[in-house]
Amino acid sequence: MSISLFLQSIFSGVSNGFVYGLIGLGLAVIFRGTRVINAMQGEFCVIAGMAAVLLLEHWRVPLAVGMIAATLLGGALGLVLELVPVRALQRRGGNEDSFLLLTLGVAFAISALVLYSVGRDSVALPGIGGEAMLTIADAAIRVHAIWLIFIGTIVMFALKWFYTRTHIGLSMMAASIDVDGAATTGINVPLMRSATFCLGGLIGGLAGVLVTPLTTMHYAMGLLFTLKGFAAAILGGLNNPFGAVIGGVTLGLLESLAIAFVSSGYKDVIAMSMLIVIMILLPNGMLGRRTRRGG
Amino acid sequence: MPEIFRRNRLPNIAIAIVLWALLPTLVSRHVVDLLIFAGVYTIAGLGVSYLLGHCGIVNLAQSVFYGIGAYCVAYFSAQHGLPGVVAFVAGGLLSATIAFAFGWPILRLSGHFLALATLALGVIGQVLFLEWDWLTGGTLGIGGIPKLNLFGWELNTPQRFYYLVWPVAILVMWLKYNLTHSRNGLAIRAMRDAPDAAAVAGVDIRPLKVRMFVLSAVLGSLAGSLFAHYVGFISVDSFGIDRSISFLLLAVLGGVHTTWGPALGALFVTLVPEILSRFGEIHAVLFAVTLVIAVIFLPQGLGGAIEQWLRRYPVR
Repeated sequence: MSISLFLQSIFSGVSNGFVYGLIGLGLAVIFRGTRVINAMQGEFCVIAGMAAVLLLEHWRVPLAVGMIAATLLGGALGLVLELVPVRALQRRGGNEDSFLLLTLGVAFAISALVLYSVGRDSVALPGIGGEAMLTIADAAIRVHAIWLIFIGTIVMFALKWFYTRTHIGLSMMAASIDVDGAATTGINVPLMRSATFCLGGLIGGLAGVLVTPLTTMHYAMGLLFTLKGFAAAILGGLNNPFGAVIGGVTLGLLESLAIAFVSSGYKDVIAMSMLIVIMILLPNGMLGRRTRRGG
Repeated sequence: MPEIFRRNRLPNIAIAIVLWALLPTLVSRHVVDLLIFAGVYTIAGLGVSYLLGHCGIVNLAQSVFYGIGAYCVAYFSAQHGLPGVVAFVAGGLLSATIAFAFGWPILRLSGHFLALATLALGVIGQVLFLEWDWLTGGTLGIGGIPKLNLFGWELNTPQRFYYLVWPVAILVMWLKYNLTHSRNGLAIRAMRDAPDAAAVAGVDIRPLKVRMFVLSAVLGSLAGSLFAHYVGFISVDSFGIDRSISFLLLAVLGGVHTTWGPALGALFVTLVPEILSRFGEIHAVLFAVTLVIAVIFLPQGLGGAIEQWLRRYPVR
């Protein structure tokens, strides 16, 4: 295998990995804040990606405006998800499984709604920096992919700072760790839960607008994103903000190296088998100390 | 099932059996189809439901065992003309072997790790069913699967198959009920609620979990074999990860702590889309919304809600 081919698969593995990582980050944020495994995290990506495309095509807004608006829409969707169905279920005493099922149901609803209103076609979004490529040792990487990695890294560090240094971030953690204790100290627990879902939605929306230029987007992609993001988040450990991204990059690299060394048909088999092996060898997650028992 | 049988409810049971027996003659062919699928899903869903409700294992790999059961039928019965029972036994053995080989290392994990591990197995199965097209026919599928022949009784109409599949489903539910109330069942519940206490009391957790996982896989394989015989043509589309998700869905929807919950869940996921399809294109959205509403208002599942209701209004 030539160096450039190897480098090429590293590039694509890392950029895919950051997509999985961003989705996993959103999942981890919502899990940390509310103990809900959000099975519709991938739908945030679908909605945001679709919205960005529609904004650009119909309203002819600049790319940056479209991307930011679509990301904010993801956040709004997260807020609505918490305010309406999640709260209703919480009032009736749902357990962990029923929250999983609830978000899965919402995911089906959104996917069906997108199919109904947009149709089966894949939609494409121009990337940041257009179609421009950067060539390093005969291996090409899209400028957009570099932006994706850059933005993903910033989000990762910003979240770390948010959860350890800001008042609202600490309040969100407190509201999740000890509901009664947090309420006693004057933290508005329901508000913190809403904020958590909103933040998860924002990250999901951001992942959506960043991935659409690379892969295009269609109505049925949400579940796949959720599964890959879930794998990334669990692999890295749900309690560490860096975990999801590191897990995602690991998964992305496993996939792209499997394509390069074996065949594209077996990429998921190899990535998933490696995932199982890693989990058996590292039952605490790659970074986790407190993630024993699977988060 | 238990409460219903224990009290003096024989007349009710008799009425239920007569209704059940008459049902396929009263409804259209298409509805009989759906009822048969519901029966098949009940069998596979019961394994998922039991693992989740009693062992705390989220099983997203049931589609793999379902597929193994179906492809064994296609391979042994359709392509090699062997008697039906060979395929059923081969599917069960193969599923049990894979479940054992996979379950032994992986069932040390718990919680979301375990869910992810079964999901990974589900994805691997989905890809292998597609890639090994010399064996499975890939997306083109395998057709010409013969009808089942039960002691000279050819199951060549939907009605006849209905009379096979539901008694099998009810038998499986009855076995599950007995298992729940056996010594092993109690050990399993102890293992779920207080693993440390169970270990102190001499319950060896991992072998028990592995056995339950193997059992669930065999049920999945049985359902897959029945499915293949009924539809006569199978392709990789039927054994994807979305099938696993729908098994999990029907298990939770029906209620994982009741014996007959999976049957209710299976009827829900097969019949409700049909009822909603008269609203045209938007029916998929409506189904998902119905699902969300059902989850919110029935946190214990359909089975749990009905059992609560029965407890409140006991029939004398």
